[in-house]
Amino acid sequence: MAAPAKTILRRFRHTGVLKELSKVTSLNFARAAHFTYVPDTPPAVYGDTTRMNLVQAINNTLDLTLATDPTAVLFGEDVAFGGVFRCSNELKNKHGGDRVFNSPLSEQGIVAFGIGLAVGGATAIAEIQFADYIFPAFDQITNEAAKFRYRSGNLFDCGKLTIRTPCGAVGHGALYHSQSPEAFFAHIPGIKVVIPRGPYQAKGLLLSCIRDPNPCVFFEPKILYRGAIEEVPTKDYTLPLSQAEVVQEGNDVTLVGWGTQVHVLLEVAKIAQEKLGMSCEVIDLRTILPWDSDTICKSVVKTGRLLVAHEATHTMGFAAEIAATVQSECFLNLESPIERVCGYDTPFPHVFEPFYIPDQWKCLEGIKKLVNY
Amino acid sequence: MESSITKEDAVITAYRAHGWTYVRGVAPHAILGELTGRNIAVSPHEMAGRTSGCAKGKGGSMHMYTKNFYGGNGIVGAQVPLGAGIAFGLKYENKPNICVTLYGDGAANQGQLFEAYNMAKLWNLPCVFVCENNGYGMGTSVERASASTDYYTRGDYIPGMRIDGMDVLAVREATKFAREYALNNGPILIEAATYRYHGHSMSDPGTSYRAREEIKEMRETRDPITVFRRKILECSLVTPEELKKVDIEVDKEIDKAADQAKKDPEIPLGELYNNIYIHPDPDYTVRGCDPSIRVISH
Repeated sequence: MAAPAKTILRRFRHTGVLKELSKVTSLNFARAAHFTYVPDTPPAVYGDTTRMNLVQAINNTLDLTLATDPTAVLFGEDVAFGGVFRCSNELKNKHGGDRVFNSPLSEQGIVAFGIGLAVGGATAIAEIQFADYIFPAFDQITNEAAKFRYRSGNLFDCGKLTIRTPCGAVGHGALYHSQSPEAFFAHIPGIKVVIPRGPYQAKGLLLSCIRDPNPCVFFEPKILYRGAIEEVPTKDYTLPLSQAEVVQEGNDVTLVGWGTQVHVLLEVAKIAQEKLGMSCEVIDLRTILPWDSDTICKSVVKTGRLLVAHEATHTMGFAAEIAATVQSECFLNLESPIERVCGYDTPFPHVFEPFYIPDQWKCLEGIKKLVNY
Repeated sequence: MESSITKEDAVITAYRAHGWTYVRGVAPHAILGELTGRNIAVSPHEMAGRTSGCAKGKGGSMHMYTKNFYGGNGIVGAQVPLGAGIAFGLKYENKPNICVTLYGDGAANQGQLFEAYNMAKLWNLPCVFVCENNGYGMGTSVERASASTDYYTRGDYIPGMRIDGMDVLAVREATKFAREYALNNGPILIEAATYRYHGHSMSDPGTSYRAREEIKEMRETRDPITVFRRKILECSLVTPEELKKVDIEVDKEIDKAADQAKKDPEIPLGELYNNIYIHPDPDYTVRGCDPSIRVISH
């Protein structure tokens, strides 16, 4: 009966259990994240900078876009009041409710509507509330957005579409708030897939995506939203797509990752230097599709050892594509088989999350295997 | 609703499922155990086969299940075609049972619902669709999300009714009626007008898109328990002392359950690999974080 159930539920609030849970799941609780954020320093040529976290950087990017591009519109679930992560905070007040508006709870509708908008000539920025929810829209992205230009022989295109969505493990997300689906999208020729590792990267890459005349999917690692803070240039600047960045140079092992994982790998590189005396080259792939195989291969030619790490599941994660390409291009340069340190082949777990993610110790084990082969 | 359906009827709902889990027969300590990821010893209250927090601690808050209760679903709207399918299964096996399929006003705009309505009407499935309209889809009010906020009409060719979801007796009677209807005539839709006091989730304070006064007013004038309590006291069906006794007993029971849930052992790490497939080949292994880790899955 409804009455006893609601009584029970009210009592739940007063027991310690939910309070403790709320401590664990509160964004303000200093739960040990599995990584330490390594801030970037933007080049001085970009001028003045402000300290921003990832949310603010994205907010700034969207603000700039809406201010400079009169055809730009931003829409998605709950974006009008600021969005669940506050990425669209104040944008409706600044630019108007006809340009920043809520969509109904309908991912397929959001993306399809965005494709139509883009084809019609508007710069469409569609937000999917969590990457885990993007799958109803997968058909639209694969069969419509990606193929629009190809099937019309360049008569039509939806290049002005950018889809933004938070992805990745966050500590308490469980099955449906933690997925990293970049590998699914890497399998679709016709779109671009981009993942930044921090605020400075995010602003430049997102502006590039929005201005790129191809439909783009921009994954934002949600665990970095508040935790990643660094100096970000206030002016307009773009960072190139399809170009990986060598974040740290080294000679013995190449470590490749994207998003949050880059920071894990930077820590691993430090530990490897201290404990194993190995100098690691850390590369942030940045664009998953079309990916920069030249930079990776050049690095592997130098080091002979490659480790790719990502949170997504092991089988057919994007590391598989990197490994296949590198072994094909650099076979004789390899000193040992390519290591992939990834999530387990299970659904993203609820309580097992700390055990599941490819943290610095698993990556270090991977390096040891590479070196001791 | 539970009082008007039988234990053999099926229920499927979305993520706000703790209450349903309880009324469908899961003991409080199993619910709390699921929240805290515990492996709880088999107790007389639980169905055979569920040895722990009702989903072994693997599902968490959104994914709680038990016999004839299919969750507990995180993806909004996905449970509605599932519910139609369950109803089909019940009809196929000639069982005199219905499937109560609940969803919210936000989910009402998902395309898959309309696919489910079509199939349910086409094949005359014993499915009672219930739209719990609390006025907001997370942070978006119904006026801003739906072209038609008459959710009971959204079933189009499926007859629908709107009830006061905060009135205990109205809900009971409507469910009784709907069950009878569904068993004899096919699908029916109930829109239950209700309200959500708190925010949508831990990250939503619930006040950035609505006024605090609105929440306060709802709590005072339309809260189901408060209103029902007032009614039965006024009609002298119970005395205040009896109600107080109920309150105290419930308090005690939940405190005990919470303590037990906190003390129960956590689920073993090996569970991470289990229940991916049923009856996997004896040599099926789950790949771990790197190619050298392979664990047998059960």
